Amino acid sequence: MVLTFAEAALLALPFAVPLLFVLVAVPPYLRYLTRRGSVVEDVHKRPPTKVPSPLGPVLFAGAVVGEAVSYLCFPSLVPVALVGVAAIAFAVGMADDFSVMGASAKPLLLLGAGLPLVLSVLVEPRLYVPRLVFPILGPSAQHFAIYTLLVVVAFPVVANAFNMMDAFNGELSWFALLVSLALLFGVVLHAVYTRGFSPARVAATLPLVAIASGFLFYNRYPSKAFDGNSGSLLLGALFAALAVVDGVEVAAVVALVPAILNSFYTLSSVRGFVERRKMRARPTYIGEDGLLYASPDNSSPNTLVRLILLGGPLSEKDLVRNVTVLTAVACLLSGAISVLTWVR
Amino acid sequence: MRTAPLIAIEVAAFLLIILESYAFFTYIVPVGTLPHDLLRYTAEAALKVALTFGLGLLWLVVILALTRLYVRSSPRAPSPNPSS
Repeated sequence: MVLTFAEAALLALPFAVPLLFVLVAVPPYLRYLTRRGSVVEDVHKRPPTKVPSPLGPVLFAGAVVGEAVSYLCFPSLVPVALVGVAAIAFAVGMADDFSVMGASAKPLLLLGAGLPLVLSVLVEPRLYVPRLVFPILGPSAQHFAIYTLLVVVAFPVVANAFNMMDAFNGELSWFALLVSLALLFGVVLHAVYTRGFSPARVAATLPLVAIASGFLFYNRYPSKAFDGNSGSLLLGALFAALAVVDGVEVAAVVALVPAILNSFYTLSSVRGFVERRKMRARPTYIGEDGLLYASPDNSSPNTLVRLILLGGPLSEKDLVRNVTVLTAVACLLSGAISVLTWVR
Repeated sequence: MRTAPLIAIEVAAFLLIILESYAFFTYIVPVGTLPHDLLRYTAEAALKVALTFGLGLLWLVVILALTRLYVRSSPRAPSPNPSS
C-alpha cells in the first residue's frame, strides 16, 4: 500500500471523529442516566458506590459515526457490514441489559451478528478471503463453507469473551484498547506489505481503537461509567468482524489469549454456560480490609482474576493492572505474529 | 512477580499456535491425493477437518493442564471473613 498525503490525512478522521464524539457525548449522557436512576452498584467498592450504566448506546453511536466517516473517506462495503455487525451485537446486549437473558440464549442470538458479514460477502466476494494466513508458513487453502461457518461461530465466542472480561473498573476498557491496537498493528503491516490491500480496511479499523480509547477515559479506575452488556458485546463483535475482514485472524486470536483463557477456565470449571448472576459461588470476594480475595470455595469458577488472586489479595486497581500486564504481553506476542506473517 | 506463571501459560499458548500451524501444513494439508474418487475425497476431507479440530482440542488440553498445575502449586491466600 502506498498512500498519498491526502489519503494519509484522511486516515486521521475515522480515528479523531469517533474519539471526539465519545469524549463529548458521554458527560451529558451520564447526567441523563443518573437523572433516570439508571445506575448500578459497584460491588467492589467499600461501601458500594452507584455508577451510571449502560454506556453501550454512546459506544454504538461512536462506532456508527466512525464507520460513516470511514465510508465517506474510503467508500467500500466494509464499514456498512461492520455497522450491521455492531447493530446486532448491540441489540442483543441492550436486551440483556434490560431483561436478563438465559445463559444459552445470548450465544445463540449472537450467532446472528455474523449474518451481515455473510450477506455482504455474497454481494462483494472480496469482503473477506476464506482462508487463514499463518506466520512464516503462509496462507492455507481457501474453504468458503468451513471458513464462513467458523466466522459465524466466532461471534458469540469473541463477544462473550469480551463480556466475561468486564468485571472490574477499567478491566475491559484497557483490554479492548490494547487488543484493538494489536489488531491495528497487524492490519497496517498487512496493508504495507500486501499489494492491492486497500487503505479502506485500515480506515474501518480505526473507529474501534477510537471508541475503546474514549471508553477507557470514563471506565478507568475509579469508573465514572460502566458499559453494560451492550458495550462489551458490541466491542467484541466489532473486533471479531475486523479480524475477519482484515485477514488478521491468527494475530487476533493471540491477542485475545487472556480473554480466551478466562472464558475457557470459567466454562470448564462451571461445566457449561451459566448466567453469571446465577452462579452458585463467586470467584472472588471483598474482605473487611477492602482488598479482593480468591474465593476458597472449590466450586467457584476459576476466572483469570481468581487465578491472579490465588497469589494473595489485591486492591481492585492492582488487580486490573495485573490483568492489563497479561493483556499487554499477549498483544506483544500478537505483534510478533503479525511481523512473522506479513513482513517479507 | 505474581503474573509470571500466567505469562508463561500465555507464551505456551503462543508457541503451541506456531507449532500446531507447522503440524497443520506439514501433516494435515498433504492428506488427500485422489480428488477423482468422490467417496475417498469426502472421507479425506472429513479426516482433515477432524485432525484440525484435534489440534484445537490438544491446545485446550495442554493449556488446561498447565493451569491446573499452576492452581495446585499456588499458595492459598489468607481468608478473612467475606463481607460480600
